[in-house]
Amino acid sequence: MPDPSFSSMPPERQADALPLTLTKSGPDSQLPALQATPTISAYPMRFTGTAGEFFRLWIVNTALSIVTLGLYLPWARVRTRQYFYGHTWVDGQNFEYTANPVALLRGYLIVAAFFGVYTLATNIQFQGWEWVAGIIAVSFVALYPWLVMKSLRFLAASTTHRGLNFRFHGQAGGAYVAYGVANVAAVISSSLALPWAWFMQRRYQVENAAYGRARATFRGDIGNFYIIGLTALGMVIGAGIVLAVPVITGFALLTSDDPFSGSRDAGFLGAMAGIAVLYLAFLAAYSLAWQYIRGATLKLVLNSTELGGVVRTRATFSPWMLAWIGLSNAAVQVITLGLATPWAAVRRTRYIMEGIQVLAIASLDDFAADVTLNENALGEAATELLDIQLGF
Amino acid sequence: MNGKSGESLSTVEVEGIYFDGRSSRDRAARLTVQGDQVTVQTSADGVSGGTEARWPLARVSIDPPLPGVRRVLKFPDRTRFETEDDAAIRAIERRARRTRPLSDRMLGGVRQLEGSWGLTFAALGLMGAFVWGFIAFGLPAIARGAAAATPSRVLTTFDRETVDLLDKPPYLGPSKLSAARQAELQRGFRQVVGWAGGAYSYRLLLRDGEPEDDGNGSFGGFSLGANAFALPGGTVVMTDQLVALARSDRELLGVLAHESGHVTHRHGLAGVYQALGLTLLTTVVTGDLVSAGTFAAAAPAALLQRGYSRAAETQADEVAGAFMLEKYRTTRPLRDILARLENKDAKADESSVQSGNRIEDLLQSHPGTANRIEHLRALEQAAK
Ligand SMILES: [Zn+2]
Repeated sequence: MPDPSFSSMPPERQADALPLTLTKSGPDSQLPALQATPTISAYPMRFTGTAGEFFRLWIVNTALSIVTLGLYLPWARVRTRQYFYGHTWVDGQNFEYTANPVALLRGYLIVAAFFGVYTLATNIQFQGWEWVAGIIAVSFVALYPWLVMKSLRFLAASTTHRGLNFRFHGQAGGAYVAYGVANVAAVISSSLALPWAWFMQRRYQVENAAYGRARATFRGDIGNFYIIGLTALGMVIGAGIVLAVPVITGFALLTSDDPFSGSRDAGFLGAMAGIAVLYLAFLAAYSLAWQYIRGATLKLVLNSTELGGVVRTRATFSPWMLAWIGLSNAAVQVITLGLATPWAAVRRTRYIMEGIQVLAIASLDDFAADVTLNENALGEAATELLDIQLGF
Repeated sequence: MNGKSGESLSTVEVEGIYFDGRSSRDRAARLTVQGDQVTVQTSADGVSGGTEARWPLARVSIDPPLPGVRRVLKFPDRTRFETEDDAAIRAIERRARRTRPLSDRMLGGVRQLEGSWGLTFAALGLMGAFVWGFIAFGLPAIARGAAAATPSRVLTTFDRETVDLLDKPPYLGPSKLSAARQAELQRGFRQVVGWAGGAYSYRLLLRDGEPEDDGNGSFGGFSLGANAFALPGGTVVMTDQLVALARSDRELLGVLAHESGHVTHRHGLAGVYQALGLTLLTTVVTGDLVSAGTFAAAAPAALLQRGYSRAAETQADEVAGAFMLEKYRTTRPLRDILARLENKDAKADESSVQSGNRIEDLLQSHPGTANRIEHLRALEQAAK
């Protein structure tokens, strides 16, 4: 792509990440438009997708995926993403997901082939299966950070807004630190380093992201990640204590020879049912804690991200509400045998989007394009099929 | 620019917005399609002057529609035009029908499906019918084909793994039969497999089916008891308890012939493939490889307990029937031991099995013993 010739602003303005905070005026000779008092405009994000509309899209996706024996899957994935991107708006313009389903299909087939050989090797155990399974497993572990990087690059290159592409500049080295070293450290420190790993991964994701030529910067503080982790841990411990009290009381009642406690069998069954209920309650608390971590991290990242020195994102949604939505969504999905999945997805996305604002001290019109690269879909296929969480 | 009047059939005009692909600025624009020519015009605004670009219709890519989302037209220089006017874009799509890629046209059809509740539920119904048809007919046929095509080396491996798993308590223990009796049965087995043929590594494993028999019966444990079963590669396992139940070696040879039928028709492997196919189908729906992998690992074990389908048992009975008619001119010994297996009663014979409830018969995946005995009797009648 040639340099932008259209913009009335000098192109450097968007290319440089300026050390500018939004609260103070930044007099800078390079920024004629901002020399006066920069007014901050807030653009709320909007989500216009509806459950009924997405339900139909989802049913048709599922039906076609089955009838084509899975060949339609990449198209279904792309269409789902396109629906959510297309219904997400900032300042009157929506997003677009532009991935090519054929490229995704190629990636899916490669990943599925390796996974199939691995499953076959471990199940049928033909001659030399240890080698085949071992090589596949070792290369997966070794390639994991690289696959994450490829996936992030593909995701960014496939996202368009106002006619400009996003881009991910992350290199393999950074990925091996954020997803290799940090994850290993989290495991050997028995989760003490886990919030540090979250921090490293989020920083890698944001600092390498770009919209057009505007690079994003991450102002997140590692301490905040530890606060999130400790809050979740505290919640699980608290739930454990609260739930343990009735269990201990129950055992105490059972073991005492109280002649008025009725038949022993009824008491025993009641205690078993009680323990089952408490176990489920603890599982719910545990899952709520993870949902909280997910939502709080998202909020923290959104509140710590700047783009090109002129745009910031602000999140006002509550991570606890998000955790509740996650938990109640799961319950409704189980009760409706999965039929409520589209409703649940729309509900969660709407809540998040309506709690995000884009704050800008310049017009959103003035971003400039960067070179557009074609990114390989293999990493994306691997992270999608193997259920690798990128943390979005 | 031509007016709409008079040429309304050949000219389409759409209002929308335009992005030049170099900056994020949106500009009001008008797109006109006349003949094979597409023109995008923006008028001058405070920032920059008006522009006009022309493209042949064939070089304009029209993104497939999505419910509730603006339509997008993309031009070769990475500029784009967006509009809410779906009807106008559909008119342009009709005009460009011949030059648009097939996948885009098909996604237009997908949009039609998504657009209506009626069609959505029709798709749902169709999907249900497809899944049922596939599981009931398609998958078994494919599994049989794949089983027939599998090289016998793979079958031998499968046998070895399964025997490793089963050949220990609480499933199986070493046989308590005398060496002479074992040799006698092995001779009988060689007679059966010599008759059955095929390139399989046949072997008969005589084993104790209740290795931890401590007088408690089978309470709490899984016990094979009086049983015989065949593995895909030609390994046949027969328990001491079954041998004890038989009143003549003819009965046991009938059972072994039945098992050889499972081997030569590759019923076991077809069952494994069928379970794998079901797994793949779930993967397609959920798109989740990892949980599918876990399920696949558990499938062969589950299958071993579930046994064969009705059709497979009938086919194996026909093999056994043919063997018995050829050697002894009667299927009676096999009928008798089937009856004894059913009643768990050493004194029973074929007349002691009553025909079961019809509905019960239908629900069972195994044919009822009464039906099997009837079928074997019919085979004998037909041979006379
Ligand atoms: Zn059988």
